[in-house]
Amino acid sequence: MFYQNNETARKLRNSRLFNKACSDEIAKSLAYSRVSFDANPAKTRKAFYTAAVLIVLSIPASLATAQPAKPGSLKQLSDTEMSAVSGQGIGVVLEDFLFSHGTDAQEGQLFEIGGVTTADGQAVRLTVNHLYVAGPDSQYGQNLGPVNLGRLNNPYQISLLDGDDPAINVPGQAVVEFAAPSQVTDGSGYDCLSSSAGAGSGSCSSRPASGGFHGERPDIGLSLQAEINGSSSFLNVHARSAVVDGSYIRLWGDETLNQLAGEIQMNFYTPELSISACDETGSGCGDRVRLTDLAMELSLGNTHQPLLLSVHGADAPDNKAGNLNLQIATIRQPAAGDIASDGGRAGSNTAVWDFYDNYYSNPDYRSNIHVGNMQIGDRDMGGARLEGMLIQHLDITTRDLQP
Amino acid sequence: MISNLMKWNVSGLLPRIRNRSPQKTISNGLMAAQGNRGGVIRLCARYGIIVTAFPLFALAMEPLDDESMANVAGQGGMSISGDVFINEEGGPISNATFGDCTDNRRCGARLASQFSEDGGWWVLDDFRGRFQFDGLTLRVRHIDSGFGGDGADFDRSVLEIGLPGTVSMEEVRYTLGTSTTARPTDPGFQQTNFYSIQMEGDMRLEGNVLVFPTGNP
Repeated sequence: MFYQNNETARKLRNSRLFNKACSDEIAKSLAYSRVSFDANPAKTRKAFYTAAVLIVLSIPASLATAQPAKPGSLKQLSDTEMSAVSGQGIGVVLEDFLFSHGTDAQEGQLFEIGGVTTADGQAVRLTVNHLYVAGPDSQYGQNLGPVNLGRLNNPYQISLLDGDDPAINVPGQAVVEFAAPSQVTDGSGYDCLSSSAGAGSGSCSSRPASGGFHGERPDIGLSLQAEINGSSSFLNVHARSAVVDGSYIRLWGDETLNQLAGEIQMNFYTPELSISACDETGSGCGDRVRLTDLAMELSLGNTHQPLLLSVHGADAPDNKAGNLNLQIATIRQPAAGDIASDGGRAGSNTAVWDFYDNYYSNPDYRSNIHVGNMQIGDRDMGGARLEGMLIQHLDITTRDLQP
Repeated sequence: MISNLMKWNVSGLLPRIRNRSPQKTISNGLMAAQGNRGGVIRLCARYGIIVTAFPLFALAMEPLDDESMANVAGQGGMSISGDVFINEEGGPISNATFGDCTDNRRCGARLASQFSEDGGWWVLDDFRGRFQFDGLTLRVRHIDSGFGGDGADFDRSVLEIGLPGTVSMEEVRYTLGTSTTARPTDPGFQQTNFYSIQMEGDMRLEGNVLVFPTGNP
């Protein structure tokens, strides 16, 4: 321990010595009282009084010479304060964050993706010219600035959830959740697509940049170069003022299948997603494709049909062994019970009716993709909407193209 | 149970830490030592997890007098520099499959994870390279302002991890794939690689990571 000054250290040492002397005297009095109570009540009462006086005298001495609490030092909690601690999870906020890396031969930078080949086995040299997560108004990655990710009152979270909670609905399991800032419904949110939205305009917690504050909506971009036999192609994707509020990944152990099960909600909102073929100098672009007001809400897995992520083992057929398997199994059967001929709840087994009603009517299980407008060059192609998609069965297995 | 979610297997990992030379500037750290050349010896990174490490040669710790020690409050935080090699000349295993990086044998580290009973393995393979960073900071910070108005309502302390600004990489590479077995030497080994990454040069990584408990701490 380091002390602020030698005078305080001396006082503390003296206080400790004094307290030790008091403690010794109190112990002696109590020991004497234990032995002598029955034999001599009067002397015993005197011993108790002596101990009590010493205890009372020692308290002010300790307080008078005690080291004053320093900012940041630990403090004792009362029982009332401790009983109010719930400790749900860990919140993470990135303040003034900026990430950038890429390929620049003059600067000695290299960022390559390998292991990719064409269908006829030719190696593809895939170079990441630039990958960035930065503040808004980056001008497609040319002018990088800082951004906050998450808010202090609504951070990114790592939590352990109770599966018995009806909102989680994985009975008997603890569920690990990695979550982005949640969407809000109390009128304090911001429109998820507008880069100039004000408070109360929507459900997203992350704020766009305004009034000198850079907000919590980053620009994200990726510039790729694919080279085959000396011939290069370029692909650049940039998202402005991107928002992922409401996204989460939940993982738990499925005891029936003895494997990892999960539920993924992937939300992505951006006022502009642009795609171009510009090279690293910014030329040769052709027309830039712009998807404006892009909103993607993708649901993979739910409590009725969890997402199962596994790898085929050595005992799988040759074409599957060692390959990744992504599966959303068909829905489990409910308990026995009939649905009325008119489909109404009144004449049906209510538990079975509620089971199917929840599955088909719960919007959290549905995926949506909205595109406000697709613009190619100076031509508008109009918008597109894909709403209410429910994935009822999915089974994807990778395959190694190497002979 | 969460503890039965995954199995892990790590093989062929050999990290090495190079001590950085002492700097002349004084940082307001938890501990201070004066080397023969003067200045403060910075803490080094190990295994990517920050622990305290002191150099074993040349710059031994010397006791501070009472006046110097009295000026150390130990609440300003910690500044950390790191120079970490992962399997720069191969790992600790040398057999028909694993070796050094001068031949065709595997020389990077391997991390495998199994998500289902008796199933295959997710694999982070051939992980190696050198990471250098300077100025990673750790401190407790009380926030009661800023953040677009959120700070005043927050009014709590957080653990602040200051990112170093620049991370220099040399020959950093890894491969992501799936495999039938945890190790290439196990019977029935078959692996499908999805992609490989190779990185060199300086990466910009700026800002602060603020960590705090949620719920009602």
